[in-house]
Amino acid sequence: MGNLTPAPAMGTTYARKPRGGFLRWALRQRGNVLAYALVAVAVAIALIPYFWMVSSSLKTMTNMFSVPVQWIPDPVNWRSYVIAWHAQDFPRYFLNSGFVAAAITLGNLLLASLAGYSLAKFRYFGRGLLFLLILSTMMLPLEVTMVPLFLIIKRLDWVNSYQGLIVPFLIDGFGVFLMRQYMLGIPKDLIDSARIDGASELRIFWQIVLPLCKPALVALGVFTFREAWDMYIWPLIIVSKDSLRTLPLAISLFMSSYGTAWDQLMAIAVLGTLPMIVLFFFLQRAFIQGIAITGLKE
Amino acid sequence: MSSAVHAESHTVRRRLRVGLAAKQAMFGYAILFPTIAILCIFRFVPMIQAFIISFSKYDLIHPAQFVGFANFVDLVQDPLFLNSFKVSLIYVVFSVLPVWPLSLALAILFNRRLAFKNVLRSAVFMPVVMPAVVMAVVWTFLYQQDGALNTILGWAGINPIPWLRSSAYALPAVILIGIWRATPYYMVIFLAGLQAIPAEYYEAAEIDGAGHWSSFWNITLPLLRPTSLLVMVMTVIVAMKVFAVPMIMTGGGPADSTRVLPLFIYQTAFEFFDMGRASAMSVFLFVAVMLFSVAQIRIFTRGEE
Repeated sequence: MGNLTPAPAMGTTYARKPRGGFLRWALRQRGNVLAYALVAVAVAIALIPYFWMVSSSLKTMTNMFSVPVQWIPDPVNWRSYVIAWHAQDFPRYFLNSGFVAAAITLGNLLLASLAGYSLAKFRYFGRGLLFLLILSTMMLPLEVTMVPLFLIIKRLDWVNSYQGLIVPFLIDGFGVFLMRQYMLGIPKDLIDSARIDGASELRIFWQIVLPLCKPALVALGVFTFREAWDMYIWPLIIVSKDSLRTLPLAISLFMSSYGTAWDQLMAIAVLGTLPMIVLFFFLQRAFIQGIAITGLKE
Repeated sequence: MSSAVHAESHTVRRRLRVGLAAKQAMFGYAILFPTIAILCIFRFVPMIQAFIISFSKYDLIHPAQFVGFANFVDLVQDPLFLNSFKVSLIYVVFSVLPVWPLSLALAILFNRRLAFKNVLRSAVFMPVVMPAVVMAVVWTFLYQQDGALNTILGWAGINPIPWLRSSAYALPAVILIGIWRATPYYMVIFLAGLQAIPAEYYEAAEIDGAGHWSSFWNITLPLLRPTSLLVMVMTVIVAMKVFAVPMIMTGGGPADSTRVLPLFIYQTAFEFFDMGRASAMSVFLFVAVMLFSVAQIRIFTRGEE
């Protein structure tokens, strides 16, 4: 929220020029008005579904489709939240989602930084090939491998289990790629001098390399958590037990059984979005950084 | 120090270094091992298995039976699969094409001076924050016959559209959500690309009297080429994998109009338990994803070596 003072609307150096200054200034203003208008449209399109979700979650069912449309709920009906929360075991689903997403995130941070460190700072036979192998897993999305992956999980007897939800996703090729790129920038001298001081390899990793990677770790962490919190297709495939449902699965099932109770559905939608909103507001930079790094090159 | 002592310490050091190099290589292998193991078990083995199962008939209950190319031959003659392929193709083309100019335009807007820029940018970014399943639920509600979207369209004099109930509008409805979510995502990536362009280029162009359009065509677009290529590839891959929204909103209907390939694979495998046929479809999807992924990895790793 840094930039709260209105920025000067025009390039001041040009505005001060005596001749032609006003015309340029006016033209710039026209450009600015257009820019603000376009941004306003974009903001509206982005936020209307949010507004509608919150507003509808507070409406009574009789006002849900009233004509003319009720934009601000009147009367405000908080009960939909209570009813929806207790309609099914939502506290449990929240915990499940939180646990699974946290485990996947931690696993990715640890394994990706270990693998990235190895690929960036160690020389050994087959390194280039192994890196390529890891990168190539990015072309094996779950949508392609879901059938055989399910068969493997079934053979491991991990259907309907936390292991089944977590372990296949503990590492992802992209995370390794990101950490490797980041660690390439760490000076070799730093690591070598620690070695000369007699620090063990693991200690160098924990106490020197990892702290230097904090920005990359935070961005990767937020990105991974968001993806894991969003995960839908995999729980849909391997979870049939109620006590193991993650939130996305629970919400979709809630929708198929309470299809027209829009007040409750919207209440659950609000609650399901809340953790992401909280994450976004507290870690806004990292959240956006986490997206920006997926477009990382070189 | 005498030169003899110096030379001796040198050889000792070199010998030490060879031992250390082997030790370090071992450490390098060791910390890479868990990653390689997990990726092998849960990515590569499944892919190989997918190929094998695609040549068999398997319903999870009876033992798998080798059937050669039968699944593939059946598929290319199956109107449902061809339809699904077509739906996916339409989805990819129309959910991707508008995203490129829109996300670039937004990025350019947010790369200039604006009051309350950070707040506004966060607001525009909000579609990315909403979980995919929530998005499907909320938009299902927006798309109701007397829902919010038709109300807003009504202000413009447009008659209510039966979005999810009509086979003509259901796919556009699903595509619209894809665009809603993807545009701010790629805006962020374009912004990162724009911010990497040195401001001096624009200042120099301005001194030379170049206008906004000229700067855009001659500076922004050429220097944004790597980012643009990456965005093109990424949007296509993401669009090929769309699942949650059609699954929740329409289940593939009405009249198969939104049955994208991943959804059809899921249903074939886990509703009709035809693992062989589902795997054969996965192979099709894999080839499509692979072609674009190779391009993505090449863009990623360009400039190395």
